[in-house]
Amino acid sequence: MTTRSPEPSRRTLLSLAATAGTAAALAGLPAFTATAAPRRPTGPPRATDARHVLWWQAPADAHSMIEQGLPVGNGRLGALASNDPGRELLLVTDATMWTGGLNDTLEADGQFPYGRDDFGSFTLLARLTVDLADHDLGAVSGYRRTLDLARGVATASYTRSGITYRREIFASRPDDVIVLHFTQSGGGHYTGTVTLEGTHGEDAAVSFGGSFPGGLRYGAAVTAYGTGGPVSVHGTRVDFSHCADLTVVVAGGTNYAPDAAAGYRDPSLDPVSLARTKVRRAAAHPADTLLRTHVADHRALYDRFGLDLGQSTDEQRVLDTWERVNLRHRSGDPDPELEAAYLGFGRYLMISGSRGSLPMGLQGLWLDGNDPDWMGDYHTDINLQMNYWMADRTGLEPCFDALTDYCLAQLPSWTDLTRRLFNDPRNRYRNSTGENAGWTVAISTNPHGGGGWWWHPAGNAWLCNTLFEHYEYTLSRSHLERIHPLLKGACEFWQARLLTTTLPGTSKEVLIADSDWSPEHGPLDAKGITYAQELVWALFGNYATACAELDKDTGHGETVAALRERLHLPGVSPTTGWLEEWMSPDNLGETTHRHLSPLVGLFPGDRIRPDGSTPKDVVEGATALLTARGMESFGWANAWRALCWARLKNADNAYQAIVNNLRPSSGGGNGTAFNLFDIYEVDKGRGIFQIDANFGTPAAISEMLLYSRPGHLELLPALPDAWAASGAVTGLAARGGFVVDLRWKDGKPASARIRSVAGRTTIVAFGGDARTVRLKPGESVTLKGFTR
Amino acid sequence: MRSSPYSALSARGARATVVLALAAGLTTTAPAALADTAAPAARTAPAVRTAAVEQGLAAKPYMGWSSWSMQSSKYPGLNPDGDYSWLTEANVLKQTDALAAKLKKYGYEHVNIDAGWWRDKAWTPEFDRYARQKPDPVRFPRGMKAVADHIHAKGLKAGIYLPVGLEKEAYADGKAPIWNADGCTTADIVYDDLRTTNGWDSAYKIDFSDPCAQKYIDSQARLFADWGYDFLKLDGVGPGSFKSGENYDNVADVAAWHQAIARAGRPIHLEISWSLDIGHAADWKKYSNGWRIDTDVECYCNTLVSWESSVDDRWDDAPAWTRHAGPGGWNDLDALDVGNGEMDGLTKAERQSYATLWAIAKSPLYTGDDLTRLDPYGLSLLTNREVIAVDQGAGPPARPVTASDPQQVWAAKNPDGTYTVALFNLADAPAAVTADWATLGFTGKAAVRDLWNHENLGTHQNRITEALPAHGSRLFTVTPHGKQLHFTGYEAESAANTLTGSASVADCSACSGGKKVGNLYTGGKLTFADVVVPKAGTYQVRITYVSGDPRPALVSAGGGAGARHAFAATGDWGTPATVSVPVTLKAGRNTVTVDSGDGYAPDIDRIDVPASS
Repeated sequence: MTTRSPEPSRRTLLSLAATAGTAAALAGLPAFTATAAPRRPTGPPRATDARHVLWWQAPADAHSMIEQGLPVGNGRLGALASNDPGRELLLVTDATMWTGGLNDTLEADGQFPYGRDDFGSFTLLARLTVDLADHDLGAVSGYRRTLDLARGVATASYTRSGITYRREIFASRPDDVIVLHFTQSGGGHYTGTVTLEGTHGEDAAVSFGGSFPGGLRYGAAVTAYGTGGPVSVHGTRVDFSHCADLTVVVAGGTNYAPDAAAGYRDPSLDPVSLARTKVRRAAAHPADTLLRTHVADHRALYDRFGLDLGQSTDEQRVLDTWERVNLRHRSGDPDPELEAAYLGFGRYLMISGSRGSLPMGLQGLWLDGNDPDWMGDYHTDINLQMNYWMADRTGLEPCFDALTDYCLAQLPSWTDLTRRLFNDPRNRYRNSTGENAGWTVAISTNPHGGGGWWWHPAGNAWLCNTLFEHYEYTLSRSHLERIHPLLKGACEFWQARLLTTTLPGTSKEVLIADSDWSPEHGPLDAKGITYAQELVWALFGNYATACAELDKDTGHGETVAALRERLHLPGVSPTTGWLEEWMSPDNLGETTHRHLSPLVGLFPGDRIRPDGSTPKDVVEGATALLTARGMESFGWANAWRALCWARLKNADNAYQAIVNNLRPSSGGGNGTAFNLFDIYEVDKGRGIFQIDANFGTPAAISEMLLYSRPGHLELLPALPDAWAASGAVTGLAARGGFVVDLRWKDGKPASARIRSVAGRTTIVAFGGDARTVRLKPGESVTLKGFTR
Repeated sequence: MRSSPYSALSARGARATVVLALAAGLTTTAPAALADTAAPAARTAPAVRTAAVEQGLAAKPYMGWSSWSMQSSKYPGLNPDGDYSWLTEANVLKQTDALAAKLKKYGYEHVNIDAGWWRDKAWTPEFDRYARQKPDPVRFPRGMKAVADHIHAKGLKAGIYLPVGLEKEAYADGKAPIWNADGCTTADIVYDDLRTTNGWDSAYKIDFSDPCAQKYIDSQARLFADWGYDFLKLDGVGPGSFKSGENYDNVADVAAWHQAIARAGRPIHLEISWSLDIGHAADWKKYSNGWRIDTDVECYCNTLVSWESSVDDRWDDAPAWTRHAGPGGWNDLDALDVGNGEMDGLTKAERQSYATLWAIAKSPLYTGDDLTRLDPYGLSLLTNREVIAVDQGAGPPARPVTASDPQQVWAAKNPDGTYTVALFNLADAPAAVTADWATLGFTGKAAVRDLWNHENLGTHQNRITEALPAHGSRLFTVTPHGKQLHFTGYEAESAANTLTGSASVADCSACSGGKKVGNLYTGGKLTFADVVVPKAGTYQVRITYVSGDPRPALVSAGGGAGARHAFAATGDWGTPATVSVPVTLKAGRNTVTVDSGDGYAPDIDRIDVPASS
């Protein structure tokens, strides 16, 4: 891949003092758009329970932002904040800030280019600094920094010569701006400068814009206001002097539009002008009003779910978050409140990173440089899917919509690329049948309709299955209607691709996938890889269900359902005792490989169930393979292991895999960073941020507390000793259209309130104690007295 | 003068024969974590040191300025006429005037001329007819006395420099007469085989079995006394200066200088350099007033110094030397180049940490900066009277009270009962650093004064935590108002303990009980059984260890993963040192394990567990 960073082809530098343009009314719901005046809450915001507040005793600096910066975001516009007393630094991102384009010229091997100019890369929008004279870190004392997960606010406070200074930073969705509010008590004041800079060669300015060769235009703007002293624009920066308090407001975005027909651009949108309008409108309100508006919006999502995994000790509670992470590892003692807070942090990231714009890729919304590893892109062979497993489960189904919106917006382009390019004779994955239909994707996808790196035939099925699972949680008919074309096109692709073969030594004819690579090891040209067979098997079932539910394409649905019956499903190797990854008894890859591709039928699929409905040898083969893969991987790979062990009801292993992700990362090593971002040691001593574990690990925690499929719920399937004494979860979603509030004690459910959001009948089981619940939407029932 | 790159390190000799002995385990007397007396080194200093003090030499670490940092730098404009060409009378006098104007009132009084005053700009040396170094007429057209006179006229002290040995170019076919030594020539003062010596092999080793040799040193000392110099840096001295072995043993040279200075009749401070062998600390203390413990602080790059090359080495290298410093002779950490951030090549945080370590270690404080270009922050660092008082006051040098991890705490107990406490964050990112009063030996409340910021930070219960920038520091005076903390000791050699792998008990006369557990390598570990505490919590457990070189160990309790800690060298394999590490214990009985992991761990004398967490 190339690492050259794209240069802006054009610059627009405007001063804030110039007349603002009018924000145009926009078709196609672009990501950065004019918004209606927000509803302002009345009354003071509620304080947050300490369990939902992470805190630290050190800031970040410019070189440690990915491990120590605190993330804020409004679902589209985000930042990492250093919280350094003397120099607040925000690295500002917009979810749509991407270089590159359609990338539809294949390389000589029939695969996609994968560079920052052609495929493109997620990249920084701006850098904001607030320099405060005489607030050097070395001169202040009692420094403390918090991230209030419930309110969605990062704070920093410290004392300087007897005066306490405090700042709050948040990214408001209602006002579509990032706000920094500096206050003090004790007669202090702030003197310094605010500087907004682009990161792609633009000159510093209080508002600036630019564009990439791929045509994307972007812009950002800042303003500041305070009391007690002058605040004024001087050239490229805002100066302030002797202010008793100070508010800084930042806005920015791009003219990205989720519309293939428009080339994913809105030519009528001027991002600089819009950014300037947004900061000006927000600046008409006191910071406190902006804060209360934001907190009400954030809490509305955050409070939909609650988790109590048990009590931590006083000694654990007195420590800051990083000390607790270290103590958790050093002592080996569970810290249930920290472990619950890790899930809370994942939910915070989801609310902050996935609303109303593009979904979250490898790093979510947060960057510390212009050139993230693997472009910060959408990896469709585990990472993108893992990001969204927790959304439905933990009461954040509105955040899931970004993924649905993305896939739908990409579908016309993915279909076009598949039609034009997939059967290129140079593509080793082309359909040997010569037929071609529907759509699929590459392993990497961008927001411009394009793919990167290698073709990924089964990627379409995995995306569809992920989208269908959202339907299973919500039973939203409108969602099912939206995704039906995606499922249909994916099925058409596989109808054209499947091969008929006779299993060796039998006369049984089965359908198998054409030549493919089991992510991400072993042969590049294996037919009938388990990964594809399982994903397509699930896809065909989901499509048939969708057709029946919607009474749409029912004939096609039945045809696909019939094909499903003929799909080959993997056996167990007599050589290794493992579920076969390839149609071979031999291990053709790495034993402890990070991916669990052949176990995709165990999780996130659930064809393989340890409840007697799946042949015993298959469950044992899956267990043996999972065992062989080992527990010592990293981030998302550990999270996936935890989820698989949870499905196998092995609480100890599931918990151990989670604990492995909670290890403190030092020197770039695998584990949890200071700011709780998950770090993957990509090269010796070089750790990078990959957000998937921050979502996959919470998904595993929820899966240990509740297994669900339509019509069947199982309480506490993999509850580890560490959490068994007592605990509670509220707002835990179940497939089949239910939400569960569960309390447990001594490892057994004390009460389970089952609420229907759309579901009607389900079994609710704990061990062998299975009860049938019948509800109408909106009704609930509380079950008690479970015995194993 | 430049230290040549040299990688060989003195390897640890064969380990002492293992003696398996079983000793009683539980003791109740903890070794003092911090000496109660002001200057532990003074207690053991030989009589000659007292003489030095009486002469007024090195009663306190000296303060001043040295020319080498600017001479050695490739900073634009400093050395336009070739390497080290900065050194001229004009430049030295400019610095003299600036020192007098800006820093003299804070105690800075030395103007030290470093290498090259007798060499032309092509670095060719010049000698008088008696084989003594002769000032280069271009650099010092009026000679060295005129310079010293100017320095003295400003109320300052003048320093000069020599390499150890007879410089090869001074040999003059062995025919140069020795001044004031009838019949002696250069042939008489060196070995017949002209064996070379010093850190650069630039001199012939002097044979002091011939009386002519002392006469030669006397003649050089006479010259410096006549010129009016108050200070001599003798450089390239071994064992040290990256050299070892008989030819590089310059103890006799240093002794000869000590004697020559006494004979010359003028008090001259004798400072020796560089990276001196700690195994000869007694010799250095006997014959000199200070010794460079480490390689050059200068980076020989486009700035004066850089953090990695080699300011940051001192945190690892200074602890073993701490006990050797005291009135009459001090551990010299090299120049303090913190006066101009741009020239120094350091961040503000690094400059403060640099000055903090030098002050608490009671190193001589001599800057190598361009004193005509000090920036306001640099001036504030060099002129902070509270920090200078730490260096110059009655307190002993500080040493680490925690493991030598990226976040570490150093402390010294002062004669007035207060503690000097420094917090360091040597990591490349900001971090919180905690000074736990338990590591100082007390518990409860203490008042904290921030010396750099001239601010009282109020009373703190049991500990203080501050946020430090990357490579940052804080410097406090801590006044305890709490109670002394009691400890329970556990001997490593106790029969109750479990020794795993290579671990074994060995004799150690300086260790409590006369024994330690060593051979902790590649899986070897020591597990203390039955460590009993009343309440669960994280305890600052004192580990008394012995280590000839810096080594890590994994310290854990119960079934936890524990934490890896770095232990600074104690100087040799017979000298123990004590630091505290946090260990999380459960109420009741615990095991505590010191594990070598896949490397080599220090030998362990004992641990001491405080009564409260």
